[in-house]
Amino acid sequence: MITFRRAVQIFSLILFLLLLTLAVLSTDTPTPLDLFLLLDPVLIALTAISARILAVAFIPAFLVLLVTLFFGRIFCGYMCPMGTTLDGGDKLFRPQGKKRPQTGKLSLLKYIVLFFLLGASILGVSFVFVAAPLSLITRFYGLLVHPVLAFFSNETLVLIQPLAEWFGMDTLMFMRITTPRFATQLFVLAFFIALFVLARVSPRFWCRNLCPSGALMALVSRKPLIRRFVSDDCTECGKCAHSCPMAAIITDDPHITLHEECIVCRTCQNICPENAISFNGVKVENTYEKKGLSLTRRQFIYSGLAGAATATVGLTGLNSVYGKPGPGQVAPYGLIRPPGALPEMDFLAQCVRCGECMAACPTNTLQPIWLDAGFMGLFSPALNLRRSYCSPECNMCGEVCPTDATRRLSLNERMWAKTGTAVIFRRKCLAWEQQKSCMVCDEVCPYKAVEFIKEPGNRVPVPQVHEEKCAGCGDCEHCCPVQNQSAIVVTPMGGIRMSEGSYVEEGKNQGLNLSIRPKSAYDPRPEGEDWGKGFAPGFEDDNSGGD
Amino acid sequence: MNRREFLKCQATGLLWMLAGGSGILLPKRIMAGTVPDLAVVKGNPAAATRAAVELLGGMKQFVKPGNRVVIKPNMSFPSPPERASNTHPEVVRVIAAMCKEAGADRILVLDHTLAPEELCMENSGIREACKPISDKMVFTPSDESLYKATNIPNGMSMTRTDIMNEVLKSDVLIAAPVAKSHSSAGVSLSMKGMMGLIYNRRVMHWRFDLHTSIVDLCTVLKADLTVIDGTRVLSTNGPRGPGKVLNKNTIIASKDMVAADAYAVSAFEWYGKRFKPGQVRHIREAHDRGLGRMDVENLKIKAINL
Repeated sequence: MITFRRAVQIFSLILFLLLLTLAVLSTDTPTPLDLFLLLDPVLIALTAISARILAVAFIPAFLVLLVTLFFGRIFCGYMCPMGTTLDGGDKLFRPQGKKRPQTGKLSLLKYIVLFFLLGASILGVSFVFVAAPLSLITRFYGLLVHPVLAFFSNETLVLIQPLAEWFGMDTLMFMRITTPRFATQLFVLAFFIALFVLARVSPRFWCRNLCPSGALMALVSRKPLIRRFVSDDCTECGKCAHSCPMAAIITDDPHITLHEECIVCRTCQNICPENAISFNGVKVENTYEKKGLSLTRRQFIYSGLAGAATATVGLTGLNSVYGKPGPGQVAPYGLIRPPGALPEMDFLAQCVRCGECMAACPTNTLQPIWLDAGFMGLFSPALNLRRSYCSPECNMCGEVCPTDATRRLSLNERMWAKTGTAVIFRRKCLAWEQQKSCMVCDEVCPYKAVEFIKEPGNRVPVPQVHEEKCAGCGDCEHCCPVQNQSAIVVTPMGGIRMSEGSYVEEGKNQGLNLSIRPKSAYDPRPEGEDWGKGFAPGFEDDNSGGD
Repeated sequence: MNRREFLKCQATGLLWMLAGGSGILLPKRIMAGTVPDLAVVKGNPAAATRAAVELLGGMKQFVKPGNRVVIKPNMSFPSPPERASNTHPEVVRVIAAMCKEAGADRILVLDHTLAPEELCMENSGIREACKPISDKMVFTPSDESLYKATNIPNGMSMTRTDIMNEVLKSDVLIAAPVAKSHSSAGVSLSMKGMMGLIYNRRVMHWRFDLHTSIVDLCTVLKADLTVIDGTRVLSTNGPRGPGKVLNKNTIIASKDMVAADAYAVSAFEWYGKRFKPGQVRHIREAHDRGLGRMDVENLKIKAINL
């Protein structure tokens, strides 16, 4: 029978996956699709510290901590999609018939992780992405499971195509699912393989020993209001201690609970042959209390210092754009952040690398990067415009960002959030270099920023970018038929990065003239605008025409 | 040649003459005399389309009962009919309806779109217009598994390409392009439109000569019937626009793609000027290679106003 807890866990995981699926499928989101990320205490608390911000959106995580204070780590036991996933993995990977050893002091590791991250955060550097559970699990499902599922679904459709055709099911026959592709999958894959393999050492190895959110909640749940109570009926058979997934019960004396480790799963209560275990309010007199393990002051300070030191190394890295931009700032070459991304340092401090924006990106241009922006920028999102373009009428990345590292913009603001400027590499361009008639960049440009002009000595018109009309959407780079590197490439030059204020105003101040060709409205060019250039592109002169 | 061969030859000739005399070959000859090479009708999109096809002898000349028909409109851009970058939905609907009346077993409206597929089918109005005939008719195949590598035996630039399975399986191919300018190809009409039935059209820009490979493609994708929608003509800034739209209320139909394209070039103004068909290189090359005729002045044209 499915216990109440399992039911809540499964419901919670389904809700998490549903919100993620909605983020992937929808193009317009009134719902808080980032809800689960906002519940992760460490993800939110450390981001608040590293980015020095407080936001209304951070209240849910605070509430989780408050609930933990009174009811213990029920978030871990009932809601966390990471915990549920690991429980599921445990069913598959646990060693058969063997008892797993108790890992004891390893559980201190999670505090070290927490204070390491805290140390870095205090210096304004965010490393939460390596350990915050909701960041990791969102990436696991969004960037790893999602493309794999899409791939297999599509292959299935291809496989059943003859059948669909036989039965005349045309819609099914033509149906295809595009597989999104993502960089840095290798990290997510290796990380989760490691977590599943560690289930052989102990159940919930991650939650017990490594999870910094677990550590933060453990700190506030040493004496929760509702806690495990063992009555005098206990015969000390030890069954509960062996069955506890969190090793929260002392094997030598099952009366004693390490409340900060307890996730209130009530496995012990269900397994106790004497029905001696209950979870009650604190008013029940419990003589068996024991202080759990704590870091020594030295360990605490050292882990914080280690985090701060690592952060400093990041800040002094070549690619770090610390301080005001100027000569000598080696900004990452070719790195295009999503539209509405904060100024780089704020962006890195605020982005938790959950991958939600990348999973939600409808054109799949948004990709996690490796070390292109130094190790402080690990797994942060960047546009890969060769892969696809960044639609000027889409702000999904801003919509789903849990920490607003990429801003939520109105569509008009979004349209002006310039990410870079296209540059033509004439030596690669078919028209410029090979005199082949090609105007794909103009054909696809939604901003009409590419113009074809007549160049002396060239028999075909050649493209030219009007910088003030280009917003760096990269449709030209994406569609350029030149192989390998495109002949037209968007560079970060001219990209607008602001933490506040209007992109429209800023753009206009900079002399930009951005407007997109309407998707559905009839918008003829003003009479005469395209006339008088003296040629009609694609036609030949009369004398060359055979009559 | 010995006597036996000579006699055989004579006998064969006699048989053909008899066949012709008995009427087996005759109807075609008679039709050739009365049916124009080009039908040009002015009127509203639906009526003009129907009238133009009727002038060519009706859809039953092209579609036999039980045939599989593919209609290739322009619906590559997510813009509404008045922008003239896509075929008018009414034109597509009438062609599909006429195919159905002629007894077609399966009618598909297919295009490999440039812009996102859903938006194209939606904004062009073509899916909605075809709904009364069938709601499973308009598709935008883009996955490679829906295409098949095909040789182009007479290709001079492009000799192999991946063509939509459904097109290869079809009995009848109908080109239903909108008349529009194209900054690489000069115009985008029925011949250029065939690029929407292959998987990789980019390669025609960068590896092959665009004009020559358009003609190559049309040697394998030769439309049985061409209906050019000149109700609105995108005279500048094609293929996507927005550009200057001329309201010409004209439908041009022919079983010769080249003739239809050639007529459309000379019938409308492009960038405010008049051009001869030969000034569009792929039309000229198609003519030279015998794919069809661009000398519209020598063709039998029937033009009516509704």
